[in-house]
Amino acid sequence: MKILYSWLMDFVGAELEAEDAIRKLQKIGFKVEEAKKTGASFKGVVTGRILKIDRHPNADRLSLVEVDTGKNVFKVVCGAGNIAVGQKVPFAAEGAVLTTGMLKKAKIRGVESAGMICSGQELGVEEKSDGIMTLPEDTPLGIDALDLFPKQDWLMEFEILPNQAYCLSHMALAREICSFYGLPFKKPSPAFPDGACADFPINIEKPMSCPRYTGIALRNLRFAPTPQWMVDRLRFMGINPKNNILIDVSNYVLFELGQPTHCFDLDLLKGPAINVRSAGKGERIKTLDGEDLELSEKFLVIADTERPVALAGVIGGVETAVSESTKNILIESAYFNPLNIRKTSKETGIKTESSYRFERGTDPEITAAAGLRIVELIKQSVPQARIEAVIDNYPLKYRPAVIEVEPMKIKTILGADISDNDMLKSLRAVDLQEEPSEPWKLTVPSFRHDIENIWDVAEETGRFIGYDVIPAETGMKLMRVSPEPFFEISLKLKTELAGCGFSEVYNYDFVSNKDLKNCMLDEKTCIDVLNPVSSDYRYMRPSLMSGLLKALRYNLNRGQESVFIFEIGKIYLKENGSYSEEAFCAGVAHGVFPAEHFWRQGLNEEADFYHVKGIVMRIFETVGDLKFASGGNGFFAPEFCAEIADENSRIGRLGKIKDSIVSANDIKAKDVWYFEIPLKALIKDSHPGLSAGGGKVKPVSVFPRIWRDLSVVVGMEHKWLDVQKAVQGVHPVRNPPCPKGTAAAPPMAGLISNGAYLEKAELIDLYRGKNIPEGMKSLTIRLTFSSMERTLTDAEVDGYISNILDKLAGKFSARLRT
Amino acid sequence: MTPSEWRDKLFQIKDAFLKDIGGVSPENLDALEIRYLGRKGELSILLRELKDFPIEERKSLGQDGNSIKTEMESLLAGKKSSLSPIKTQAASGGKTGIDVTLPGYPFLKGSIHPISFTVNKLAEVFMRLGFTIADGPHIEDDYHNFEALNIPQCHPSRDAQDTFYLAMKDSQANNLLLRTHTSPVQIRTMMKHKPPLRIISPGRVFRRDALDASHSFVFHQIEGFYVDRNVGMADLKWTMEAFIKELFGSDTRLRFRPSYFPFVEPGAEVDMTCVFCRGRGNRSAAVPNEKCPVCKGSGWLEMLGAGVIHPNVLKACSMDPVQWSGFAFGAGIERFAMLLFEIRDMRIFYENDLRILKQL
Ligand SMILES: [Zn+2]
Repeated sequence: MKILYSWLMDFVGAELEAEDAIRKLQKIGFKVEEAKKTGASFKGVVTGRILKIDRHPNADRLSLVEVDTGKNVFKVVCGAGNIAVGQKVPFAAEGAVLTTGMLKKAKIRGVESAGMICSGQELGVEEKSDGIMTLPEDTPLGIDALDLFPKQDWLMEFEILPNQAYCLSHMALAREICSFYGLPFKKPSPAFPDGACADFPINIEKPMSCPRYTGIALRNLRFAPTPQWMVDRLRFMGINPKNNILIDVSNYVLFELGQPTHCFDLDLLKGPAINVRSAGKGERIKTLDGEDLELSEKFLVIADTERPVALAGVIGGVETAVSESTKNILIESAYFNPLNIRKTSKETGIKTESSYRFERGTDPEITAAAGLRIVELIKQSVPQARIEAVIDNYPLKYRPAVIEVEPMKIKTILGADISDNDMLKSLRAVDLQEEPSEPWKLTVPSFRHDIENIWDVAEETGRFIGYDVIPAETGMKLMRVSPEPFFEISLKLKTELAGCGFSEVYNYDFVSNKDLKNCMLDEKTCIDVLNPVSSDYRYMRPSLMSGLLKALRYNLNRGQESVFIFEIGKIYLKENGSYSEEAFCAGVAHGVFPAEHFWRQGLNEEADFYHVKGIVMRIFETVGDLKFASGGNGFFAPEFCAEIADENSRIGRLGKIKDSIVSANDIKAKDVWYFEIPLKALIKDSHPGLSAGGGKVKPVSVFPRIWRDLSVVVGMEHKWLDVQKAVQGVHPVRNPPCPKGTAAAPPMAGLISNGAYLEKAELIDLYRGKNIPEGMKSLTIRLTFSSMERTLTDAEVDGYISNILDKLAGKFSARLRT
Repeated sequence: MTPSEWRDKLFQIKDAFLKDIGGVSPENLDALEIRYLGRKGELSILLRELKDFPIEERKSLGQDGNSIKTEMESLLAGKKSSLSPIKTQAASGGKTGIDVTLPGYPFLKGSIHPISFTVNKLAEVFMRLGFTIADGPHIEDDYHNFEALNIPQCHPSRDAQDTFYLAMKDSQANNLLLRTHTSPVQIRTMMKHKPPLRIISPGRVFRRDALDASHSFVFHQIEGFYVDRNVGMADLKWTMEAFIKELFGSDTRLRFRPSYFPFVEPGAEVDMTCVFCRGRGNRSAAVPNEKCPVCKGSGWLEMLGAGVIHPNVLKACSMDPVQWSGFAFGAGIERFAMLLFEIRDMRIFYENDLRILKQL
């Protein structure tokens, strides 16, 4: 909302500097978005006439000019190109104050200059000037040039918060300053005219929708232009004045008092009469802004005896509009129910200064005063205007709300120890009249419909004493902080993944149809946004893949060769009419580990399946036991993908994204690796977001370990995991199977005792090729044995190993590599 | 194995080693080292077998073993320096010593997104003040996002909240939308738990804003609230001061201005002294006329919206506003991140440029 300082001061009965007013308003919660000086503020500039122009002896571009100010003739040096003899100009003599500062006597290229002829820019009345300012022919000589321009003023732009709707005018804002700072408020009280007793029919169909309608019939008018001061003020409000007082005055009063009004041409009103009613089905109205609307019962209209003449509180009709030939008018100043106006405005899409105020609630008690203010202003331009009738139809009288206030509660809400006296002062300041009783009973004024309860009252007190008076102190007790599993797990994953070289990215939760297609995702599983910002953001993302691929492309296109990124975010899915949102962690890896270029060639490697698996294992191992099995689905190259599972089910996947998807996403690179896993799967009830095994530590043996490397040759079809499991499944106390027919006495009996165990079975080499038959591979397994009780002997370990070999031979037809 | 067998084996290994090292080529040096001196190397295995001998034997055999090992190692080192110029002279030494200015081998370095970083930082501060983190859904209904927060259907503040609606309804046929603020978490938490409650909830929110340097239709907020008996503005002020000073330094000053949010009453806007000009308003003390680019000359930055929880919000969560009271606050996380990292354009957060992300 725009506020002009001088207009504001019309209602303040005390001196108040503009800067001070701004500061005061800010302090009580008004947001000043901009405050700028307007008008002229120079000093010591008079009007003069150019008598004579000579060339400067030392400079081609400069002239020597004689200026007559009526009393004196000054000789000055001037550089402007647009001077001419006889011109009237603003002249600044030594000592004048311009936007450039105080003017001093100066010698210019050897010639003394006794002052200067000013440009509009130097006077501060134009943004930018080209040459000096010339004044109208009939300007008298020697007068203060300040009188020729609008006075200095301040234009302020306020952001009015929804609860400040009672402050949508100059008068209301002035009232606010005055009451909070104890300044005298000049309340407008236009005189009620005598002898305006003629009747005029104003009928209100439903008082709920229009509790009050004040109509004033004003006769004996003629066209008069809007006075310049009003034009100036309206322009500052951002309004383009129509230069007809009958039209402009409504806008003026709106900005002045906050009460929207409307003037009908009385001679065009059928009846004449005013009916405030719901529109009939099929009725139409041509509005002032040129629309032809079909109406329905939903709309509240102002009608004459035949037809709607205005959309109540929103906009007038063109058929009864005032014009240059208008002789008589009916001034409407009403209070409408905010809900009705809101509905009409929303339904028609018409938003006006008027509907803006009505739908936020105006002051029902001000309608008559506003109507009379219109009359007062019109009379200034058309003195012979005569009031014929003032009809105040007020079927639903405003009944002030009464709020019971216990001072203690206000002190609690604010947390400040305010004396009862101060509190009362604060409440009187906002016009909340208090009745002497316990608890206090406060009467809410008609313009403060935002105050409903003690919390609202506390805010007024807070504004009055100032929030800076409230101490910053607390009696908060210690509270136990319990962990939030998703937050904890996310934090842990982010830290770990960053430690593995992955950078976290953030993508929007929205994707386009194309994004889905490019990743072979089905839009049928996606939730549509009804009102997306554009079709690029039409669906809620069903996967993090598309965003990650975009980020990959973005970085590859900017010269990165290796991109390791991840995102933790939500995906959204719909299925059978229900929806879900779920947090996922997903990542993309492409390029070289650990770095593209460094001086020891050969230590870096292209990322492959096992890099990504290694990272996934390292990150997710800490939150639980994960298993990897062949499989996955359509996103991945079939030979390079795996499903990630925990004890119960498949939870994630990892693999190489299909070339077709990569190229559909406009990514030039090959070998793009991807993994994803839902966070839910990582949260265990027993240890939410904590380390594997619930943070338990196993003891280690004090006796030496024994290790042996075992190279076995098995068929390619056997998976390492199966081999490992088989090895781990051999138990030391179990005797080797006895070949049929041999003595039952086991060769190692008695040597293998309890306490010996296989600590680890690690794969330390995988070999194919020379010396290994086609279709076979050699696995070198390092077996580490230990005991918690004693030092193991070679013999018992050898026995153990032969058990293992037998097991592998039986299960995988494995044989020792020779 | 007897001790003498062991000693024989030792010298066999030494002889073989001497034979091999004579004609070794540079590329086989490493393999040679591994074969004899590596963990699985012949000598290493032999030395490990010492442990099976009685203690006296072990001592004398061990001496022999170690002296031969030392001899082999020094032979190998000499061979290396003569054969492998790049590796040894540049890096491993020689007479001049190693070049300590060569870059160390790179280890992988990733990064955490600036928003995540900021969220963690804020959460950390609040957790120290006893606030517990709560999470809430992004897909919300009208009740939790608006109505229970004292923003009724016809309230003008709904105009300002440009909401994304989804083409779906929930099982009760409520319209679904993307939450426009983190405040629904207040409602969900208060409906589920009894006071005292001290909660923060950082998270993603959605508004139909155009993308520019300071707006995004996806952004992040942190919500906080405290409900107990006799909680008021003073507690809020204390908490905000503790929080902001912890984050931006103890010389930061705060200013509370009356403001409006439907779910608090009284409401306040919390400003802090500009982190860039420390509240002076100018770019530097040396150029007093040039406005500070961060606060645009005012010396203050708007950081949070806050207030005493509106009685209607407590009532919506079945809490008696006479018995219980609380404060709530909310802030944009991007704003904090932009100040902490001196980022001027919000779009950077979603561009995912590794050249920027890796700086963190
Ligand atoms: Zn600043």
